[in-house]
Amino acid sequence: MSISVIPADAIEEKIQKLTEKDVKRILTVFREKLDANAACSLYSCVHCGLCADSCHYYLAAGEPEAMPAAKLDLVNRVFKKYHSLIGRKLPQLAGANPLTRELVRNWVDSLFGRCTLCGRCSLSCTMGINIFSLIRAARSALAAVGLVPPGLQSTVDTAIRSGNNMGISKENWLETVAWLEEELQNELRDPRLRLPVDRKGAKILYAINPREAMFFPLSISAVGKIFHAAAEDWTFSSANFDVTNYGLYNGDDEAAGIMSGRLLRAAEELDCRELVLAECGHGFNSNRWEAPEWLRRKQSLRVRSILEVVAEHIQNGRIKLDASRNAKLHTLHDPCNLVRLGGIIEEQRYILKHAVGDFVEMHPNREKNYCCGGGGGQLAMTNFARRRIEAGKIKTDQILATGAEVVATPCHNCIDQLMDLKKHYKLAIEIRTVCEIAADALIIEAKS
Amino acid sequence: MATIEINGKTYETNEEGFLIHPEDWSEDVAAALAREEEGIDCLTEEHLSVIRFIRQYYLENNLAPMVRSVCKATGFPLRHIYELFPSGPAKGACKVAGLPKPDGCV
Repeated sequence: MSISVIPADAIEEKIQKLTEKDVKRILTVFREKLDANAACSLYSCVHCGLCADSCHYYLAAGEPEAMPAAKLDLVNRVFKKYHSLIGRKLPQLAGANPLTRELVRNWVDSLFGRCTLCGRCSLSCTMGINIFSLIRAARSALAAVGLVPPGLQSTVDTAIRSGNNMGISKENWLETVAWLEEELQNELRDPRLRLPVDRKGAKILYAINPREAMFFPLSISAVGKIFHAAAEDWTFSSANFDVTNYGLYNGDDEAAGIMSGRLLRAAEELDCRELVLAECGHGFNSNRWEAPEWLRRKQSLRVRSILEVVAEHIQNGRIKLDASRNAKLHTLHDPCNLVRLGGIIEEQRYILKHAVGDFVEMHPNREKNYCCGGGGGQLAMTNFARRRIEAGKIKTDQILATGAEVVATPCHNCIDQLMDLKKHYKLAIEIRTVCEIAADALIIEAKS
Repeated sequence: MATIEINGKTYETNEEGFLIHPEDWSEDVAAALAREEEGIDCLTEEHLSVIRFIRQYYLENNLAPMVRSVCKATGFPLRHIYELFPSGPAKGACKVAGLPKPDGCV
């Protein structure tokens, strides 16, 4: 894991030093990221305000700057100024502004600091504008001149430099896998249990969130246990095991392509037929949906979420679960990137239906669910941490209303935010991955 | 930027309670961070053995150790680490040991 100490005002210093060339670069990259649809939609906002109540930032603090339309307007003003006749000739009438230092500062503050790219506002947009993707395009432009908040940028840099976003060495990764394998063998009293690494020709390459190996490995053991029970044909990679891709959040498509490309190549080189992604919302969206765009090529193999694999094993009877082992009342938080933006909606419910005794939905749920507040790179941007916790009040209230004792969520990023919310709002809840819950319910027949 | 005060001296922390200057750390600072950030009123010998190992590892490697190394060095089973530090190894133990906030989903 890499650690760097960066002064908090590093971004302000960079804004002060912006040259005309930098501003031109921001505008060029921003223009490059917009296709015809996106450009049209920049003219489409009718300021109806229906998006306001869809955003957890606005709902939690009521600041007008947090309204999605207001965030979009920051972007609109600049686009109109440089790409519309009326904006060039009569900027005041068109609501157009040149990209000044002040506006760049507002872009950083609002587009990085008041948005989790959760996409919920697009559901309520009268005009169907993909607000979050326009905000991401503006983030890309800021990234081109180094204006990404420090913790988010260093997470991308660490991944590019070391192959995973926590800078875990190959040696430490392999040692952790060997340790978990031994622990599982002891727990299940089965010396033949394996957590295979670099097994050529395995059907599945399974990729994890480095956070699991570094600090929370019980979720790796859970999947290992499920794969063992299902006699799954799978492997880890020794070099490329990271499912995350913070390029989705900082807007750097080139870096994003490098990260997703490594994972795909690792699967290809091991002759795997499938890349299976751990419980990670943005990692799923990145590697399942965005990677072909970033890499400009078709997926050469099947890419699935671990939830799809586990649900299939339950359905086919390859694993059996005893729901009475998870007797507490469970609820489910839907990660935005996996559900609203990823399309994995019912699999987690199907698994929990078989794995827990008592389940209650939070409301709203599925594609209408509120963001936990930790997405969009917020966890990595310490300078915006207070807003993140404040915006998490909406999720907190949703959880409290269920009365649940356990919150399941198939995303490690959401888990970390929920842990922060639990601490701040003093919630009496356990927070677990779906596979951890399923693994506890597994019926493992004794093998002779 | 926030601060914590210990015996009349002020230390800077970031918005999430991590020390801005890791070299400010001492066991007194650890006790204060544990109280403020983790709600641990009194650090036991078990807490301290985890914290001292993480601190030493950080000074030698400029890295936080993997939880596997923490278990190996202290002899504690994994689940006991989470019992000692409810916020987990990163936002709990590493923070109290005065390390900067790690990169990634933490």
